[in-house]
Formats: sequence, structure tokens, C-alpha cells
Amino acid sequence: MEKIEHTTISTNGINLHVASIGSGPAILFLHGFPDLWYSWRRQLLSLADLGYRAIAPDLRGYGDSDSPPSHESYTVLHVVGDLVGLLDSLGVDRVFLVGHDWGAIVAWWMCMIRPDRVKALVNTSVVFNPRNPSVKPVDAFKALFGEDYYICRFQEPGEIEEDFAQVDTKKLINRFFTSRNPRPPCIPKSLGFRGLPDPPALPAWLTEEDVSFYAEKFSQKGFTGGLNYYRAMNLSWELTAPWAGLQIKVPVKFIVGDLDITYNIPGTKEYIHEGGLKKHVPFLQEVVVMEGVGHFLQQEKPDEVTDHIYSFFSKF
Amino acid sequence: MTSEVREKKIKTNGIWLNVAEKGDEGEPLVLLLHGFPETWFSWRHQIDFLSSHGYHVVAPDLRGYADSDSPPTHESYTVSHLVADVIGLLDHYGTAQAFVAGHDWGAIIGWSLCLFRPDRVKGFVSLSVPYSPRDPNLKPSDLFKSFGDGLYITQFQEPGRAEAAFAKHDCLTVMKKFLLTTRSDFWVAPPNTEIIDDLEVPSTLPDWITEEEIQVYADKFQKSGFTGPLNYYRAMDLKLQELEILAPWQGYKIVIPTKFIAGDKDIGNEGANGTIKYVKGEMFKSIVPNLEVVVIEDGHHFIQQEKSERVSQEILSFFNKLRNITE
Repeated sequence: MEKIEHTTISTNGINLHVASIGSGPAILFLHGFPDLWYSWRRQLLSLADLGYRAIAPDLRGYGDSDSPPSHESYTVLHVVGDLVGLLDSLGVDRVFLVGHDWGAIVAWWMCMIRPDRVKALVNTSVVFNPRNPSVKPVDAFKALFGEDYYICRFQEPGEIEEDFAQVDTKKLINRFFTSRNPRPPCIPKSLGFRGLPDPPALPAWLTEEDVSFYAEKFSQKGFTGGLNYYRAMNLSWELTAPWAGLQIKVPVKFIVGDLDITYNIPGTKEYIHEGGLKKHVPFLQEVVVMEGVGHFLQQEKPDEVTDHIYSFFSKF
Repeated sequence: MTSEVREKKIKTNGIWLNVAEKGDEGEPLVLLLHGFPETWFSWRHQIDFLSSHGYHVVAPDLRGYADSDSPPTHESYTVSHLVADVIGLLDHYGTAQAFVAGHDWGAIIGWSLCLFRPDRVKGFVSLSVPYSPRDPNLKPSDLFKSFGDGLYITQFQEPGRAEAAFAKHDCLTVMKKFLLTTRSDFWVAPPNTEIIDDLEVPSTLPDWITEEEIQVYADKFQKSGFTGPLNYYRAMDLKLQELEILAPWQGYKIVIPTKFIAGDKDIGNEGANGTIKYVKGEMFKSIVPNLEVVVIEDGHHFIQQEKSERVSQEILSFFNKLRNITE
């Protein structure tokens, strides 16, 4: 871990903290919520050993990167802008891309609007969902799962932060990372995160040190930066109208754990396995469903995920 | 002359646009995008000319104008919205790739189309307004501030201000002040003066436009007002339109074949650092490498009306060349 270099790169008007190691073709790793570059710690080391330049930023709003104050600064266009600037700074013309959770959404959009900068994509957890011209995404989730659905509960600035603040940050991290409940997470206001039972003991793949690392960063930074991505979802929808109906024309491998809440959203399994995803991502080459694996697959099964990434990218 | 132009309403990107059309639907599609403060009518000469030379010509009233919808808030007038409107039109016609020409704000939309959806553009002609890549270190609002409060863009920001200033004149006069301007500065009014009061109406009409033609515009704006058009400028003030949404295209080269046409007396061509110098310069060539530049002598801002035959020929020859058709 000491071999991982940490630098600060100025891009798109902000400073991004970037962890990187290795030399060779560049792979850019994009974390999700509530996560950090650290999510990819095992992949960074392994893929560097396999001859790649592995790069993992804290995305805007997270960790040691800048957090612009307004949620309007967290559209997918802003974040892709950060990453294009990052690649320019690092002298990388075309990159291998790996995404997870919100990082997967950003990765889909980077491939959509700047396919010229991406060689191939291994995306995890979150499928590409075509834009529904009549319904904004947050409204769609509310209609589907109700106003207690976590995405809806994350909307009001400050509200969920207050709830989080009443829970020990380590417990909160533990709860997020180790949940194996595939059902849509709904947190009634009366209960809140504070009202949830204590999480179980840590699984083998997440140590006390790991949890402490996350807890320290999120205690320092807060969760607002990360929550702003959710708060900018409807705005992103509005601003990405020019690409409605456009296919993603980058070679893709998609991986998801079968206990992931995203895989268990009604309709998603059919969408993935019966041609829906492929219609929008015509160069989707492989789909991997990891049995018995939850949301944070790159941490739960790091070697397998590394192998999947390596075997795919070595084709190019 | 424009009697065979068909007008119809098309649903696109959640709104209805009024679209003027002429020519054989089987022919390649040319999309013409007007500027401020205009309508599809600004393209009347090109609509006739191009449709009689083998093109299916489509010219919308843009969002906020004339017989098209005008969403109420300026947040709905970013280049994202405007480009999505255009994509919706192309989808309606089933056009995979279009020839596009844009003037003024229509040119800004066209350049943005080249960034966002190069897959839908065969070739692009820009009249008057060049591509301005985003400079992350220079916000548009800071640049405009350097011109002072008299800059028309600054005066157009505050909701209601320009509308009230325009309303002191009848619509015909307002249109004459814009269409007939021969100013080539960046339209900065003296202190305590509204730009509409500073623009002058010449005592006689030039030979390229008639009173009846100006009345066509006046009638449309009388009905639809100027707020929709002004919202394009008000969306520039937003954080979003401070070009933050263009960040993904930082350093992007527009390699689509493009042609830039402007009058040597257009707005912004006064002085050593004018638009034409910028367009002919090394920096511009590095980001728009596949570019032709045509400067029309004695041409002013509303060039496709003032020098209609020349502009029509230049557009036709450019599109024909891309189709490997030589005259």
C-alpha cells in the first residue's frame, strides 16, 4: 500500500486527489457512494503488478478532493469534465475504464459523450439505463419504491446528513458496506439510519482498519459531497437530453453480484440477460453475475474482480 | 417567393417547434438555425435556393421564438436544451446525419451540436459566430464584466429589463434597430443607456430588405415577445451555462468539415482583435482543423439576408463538395 502514490491534480476548476501505481496502459478506477479511491486498493496493487498504470481518484465531493458547495456542480457532465481534465494532465489519450456504483454511472456517460477517450470499459453494479423522456429519474424511483426509498430520502439538502450524524460513522460505514439485503433500501423518516439495528460483525474482507480509514475520511469531509450526486440526478437528466437514444459504442464487460440491490430492482435481470442492455450497449461482450456477492464486489471478491478486469483488458 | 414553404409543428425534446420546410423529402436534409432576434424567415433566400438545388430544407423557429414553444424559465435555455431540440427534429425526419447551417445563436447551437453529437452532422456552416472553446480559467461572466454595464449581453441578464426597454419602441422599430445595424463594435452602450436606445435606425432602408419583410418579424415578436429570445442570454449567467457543462470537451478538436462565413463589418470585427482574426488564427485552426473561412466584403451582421446570393452559393458549394458534387 505504501507503494501507491498520492498526488493532487488540478482539473476542471477543482483539485482532485489521485492514488496511482504502476506503469503501462492506464486504467482509471471510479468509485461510488459512499466510497473512495480506497475501494480499489487491491485492484491497484494487482493490476500494477500485471503491467498497468492503475489510477484511482477520489471523485469530486469525496475524501481528499474538492467539494464544490452547490449540488448543481455534481452533474455527470461536471464529473466527466473532471476526468477528461485528469487524463489530459496525466498525458493519457485513451484509457481503460472501471466503474462501480456512482462511478459506473459516470463511466457510462464518459463512454457516451467522449468515446474517443475510452479504449474499453469494465463496469460493475449499475447498468446503463436509457433516458426516459417523460419521467425524471428521482420521480421514477419515487413512483416505483415510495418516498422512503433511499434515493428519495437523500434529496433534501441537510436532512439525511442530520440523520447520519446521529450514528457512529464506523457503524454507518459498516452498515453500508456489509448489507446483504437485496431488497430496495427504504428508510422511513421516523426510523432513520439512527433507528436501524447495529450491523453484524465485520466480514472477512473488511477489516477494522479499512472501516477506520473510511470513517476518518467521511468524518472529516462529511457526506454532503457524495449525496450531491443524488441531488443532481434530475438536473443531469435534463442536461443529457442531447444524447437520448444514442448507443454506447465502447467494448464493455459488466459484472454484478447477485445480492446487489441494483441487480434486484424489478426488471433488471431480464434487462441484462434478455437483450435490453445490449440494445443500448451494442459492444457489450461479457456479463458476469457473481453468486452470493453483494454490492461492494471489488472488495468482497478482489482477486476474482481483478481477474475479470485483467482478462478483459488484455484483449485490447 | 416563400409561398411554397410549408410550416408545421413538430414535437421535440418535450416542446413543440414550428418548422418551415421546402424541397423534396427524399433529398439530403439541410437544417438552418436562426439567431437573435429572428425567426426561420431570416433564411427565406437560402430556403428557396437550397431546395431548388437538391436539398430538403428544414428551418425551425427556435425554442422561445415566434410560433414555437417558449418555456417560462431561463434554466430551460441552455445549449443542452437547444441541441436536444435539434436532435429531436433530426429524429423526427429520420435523418442520421444532416447538413447544418447556423447564424448567431444558431451558430452557437451548431458548434455545440458538433461537440455533443458529431455523429449527426455531415458538415456545418457557421455564420458570424465562431466556436469559443471553454477556458476553465476565464468565466464568461467575468469576460463580459470587462466590457462594463453597457454590453448588450450584460443588459440582457436581468429579467424584464430589456423587455421594458424594447417596449418603449414599437416592434417594427425594434426590428429595424437590430436588422439594419451597421455597427461592428461589440455592442456596448454608453453609460446609463439601454442598447436598444443606442442602436440607430437608418433614414432609408438598404436594398436587401423591404418594409413588408421587416413587418413579418415585427408581427411575430409583437405576439410572442422577447423574453424567450432573451432567455438564451440569461441562461449564460447560470453556473451551468458558465460553460461548466462543456468541461467534458475541453481541448476537443472539431474535425467535422466546417465553414465560417462573416461580413467584414459584422459585430466584433472592428479592431485588430476581431472575430475574423481569431478565426484565421493558429489557435482556432488547432481546434477546428477542417475549416474554410469566407469573409464577405461590406457585409454586416444579418449576412444571409444582406448578401443572400453569396451566402446561398457558399453554403451550397460547401455541402455539394461534401457530397462530391461539383457545379
